[in-house]
Amino acid sequence: MSEMKKIKNLKEFSTSADRFEGANLLCPGCAHSIIVREVLNATNDDLVLAASTGCLEVCTSVYPYTSWDASWIHIGFENSSTAVAGAESMYNALKTKGRLKQPERNPKFVAFGGDGSSYDIGFQWISGCMERNHDMMYVVLDNEVYANTGGQRSSSTPIGSSATTSPAGKISYGEKTNKKDMLGIMAAHNIPYAAQVAPNKWKDMVKKIQKGFATEGAVFINAVSPCTTEWKFDPKDTMHLADLSTDSLVFPLYEIIGGKEFNITYRPKNIVPVEEYLAAQGRFKHLFKDEYKYLIKEWQERVDANWAYLQRREEAKV
Amino acid sequence: MKKGWDEFEIGAMLRTFDGSIDNIAGTSQDDRSYSENSSYTASVADWRLIKPIFNKDYCIDCQFCWIYCPDVSIISRDKKMIGIDMDHCKGCGICAEVCPTNPKSLIMFPEQSEDEAEIASWPAKDEEK
Repeated sequence: MSEMKKIKNLKEFSTSADRFEGANLLCPGCAHSIIVREVLNATNDDLVLAASTGCLEVCTSVYPYTSWDASWIHIGFENSSTAVAGAESMYNALKTKGRLKQPERNPKFVAFGGDGSSYDIGFQWISGCMERNHDMMYVVLDNEVYANTGGQRSSSTPIGSSATTSPAGKISYGEKTNKKDMLGIMAAHNIPYAAQVAPNKWKDMVKKIQKGFATEGAVFINAVSPCTTEWKFDPKDTMHLADLSTDSLVFPLYEIIGGKEFNITYRPKNIVPVEEYLAAQGRFKHLFKDEYKYLIKEWQERVDANWAYLQRREEAKV
Repeated sequence: MKKGWDEFEIGAMLRTFDGSIDNIAGTSQDDRSYSENSSYTASVADWRLIKPIFNKDYCIDCQFCWIYCPDVSIISRDKKMIGIDMDHCKGCGICAEVCPTNPKSLIMFPEQSEDEAEIASWPAKDEEK
C-alpha cells in the first residue's frame, strides 16, 4: 500500500499536479470536471480509469485529443464498471503470477459514469461489480438528467423537473416520479464504503475519496453535479447551486460503511428552504405558477422527512 | 499530418505524452512533454465571450479559484496563484464568483478588454459588504 497523500488545507492541495487537462469540450461551468479533478488529485498513485458514455466521456475524448493523463478506457454506455473490474482482476492475476514489471506500484481503479449510465443503463453491471466486491471505486456524476443527448429524464430526475421526455406544460408538471435512492441500493450490497459527496464541500469530498482509496473492496460514490445546460442556470453559478443543494438538504452528505454504519458528514449551519434551491433553476420554474405551488410544499416535506430519517438512522447506527 | 476519422485504426491508443513519464503525479504540467494528442496542446480560447482578469494586489492565495476551476486554467505553483491559462479558459466565471476578497482579485471583463487598463481602473473596496 502506498502512502496516503497528505491534504490538510486548500493551499497544500493546490500543489497537486493535475492529471485531467483543459480544452476538453464540457460546457463552460460544468461541475463534472470539478468533481473529476477533486477525485484524481486526492491521490498520487497510478490510476486506471474508465468512463461510461455520457458528457464526461464524449467531451474528454474527441478525436484526436484526450484530456486524460492516466490510463483511460473508452467504453460503452453500461460497462465502465465492468471494464475497470476486468482490469482489476487482470492486475491481480498478473500479480499472483509474478508477471508485473513494477509490482510495487499499486494503481487505483476508478470508473466514472453519469446518472443515466449508473441509475438506469449500467445498473445491473454496477450491481455485479459491487456484489463481487472488486477493489475499485465507482463515481456517479449525478446531474439528474441525460444531459449529453439533450435532457431526457433518467431515474435520477427528481419530481417536478421539466425534462425533454417529461416536459412541463398545461396538463403536466414534468417528471412524475421520485428520484431513486441509488446510494441506499448500493449500500444494500454490503459494500465496504458508500458515500454521497458534493464538489463545493471539497474537504469532505477529498476525505471520502481518500477513505475510498484506502478501503479494500468496492466503493460507491454519488456526486451531485449541477448541470448549467439542463438545470438552466448561469454558468458562473455552478458552485452556488452546489451550495444550495447541500444546504437545503436536497442532497445531504453522508457515508455508509459496510452497509450498516451510517454517518452524516455535513450538517448545514443555516438550512436553506428548498424553495430557494428550486427557484435558482429554470427546470423548476413552472412550479412557481399558482396551480403547481403545492408541489413546492410537498418537496419541502419530503426533504424534511428524509433528513429526519437520516438523522434517526445515524442515531440508531443501523 | 494527423489522420482523419476514417483512417483511425480500431482499438488504437492515443498517447498523452511523447516518451515515458515515470511519475505523472509528481511532475507539474510545465515539465511534461505532451504529445499532439493531449488536449493540453489544444485551445478553447475562442469559446470565450468574457474573460477573467487577475489582479495580484488583492489576491490572498486562498486557492478557491484553483479548486473550483472546471478547466484546469488557474495556474498555482508553490501554494501561490500565479495566473490564468488563457488557452484553456472558457470564460464561465466561476473563479470570479468564488473569489472571497473585497474587492475581488478576479473579475470578468469582455474578451476584448485590455488587462493593464482594467487593472489600473480596478473597482474600489465595497464598504457595504
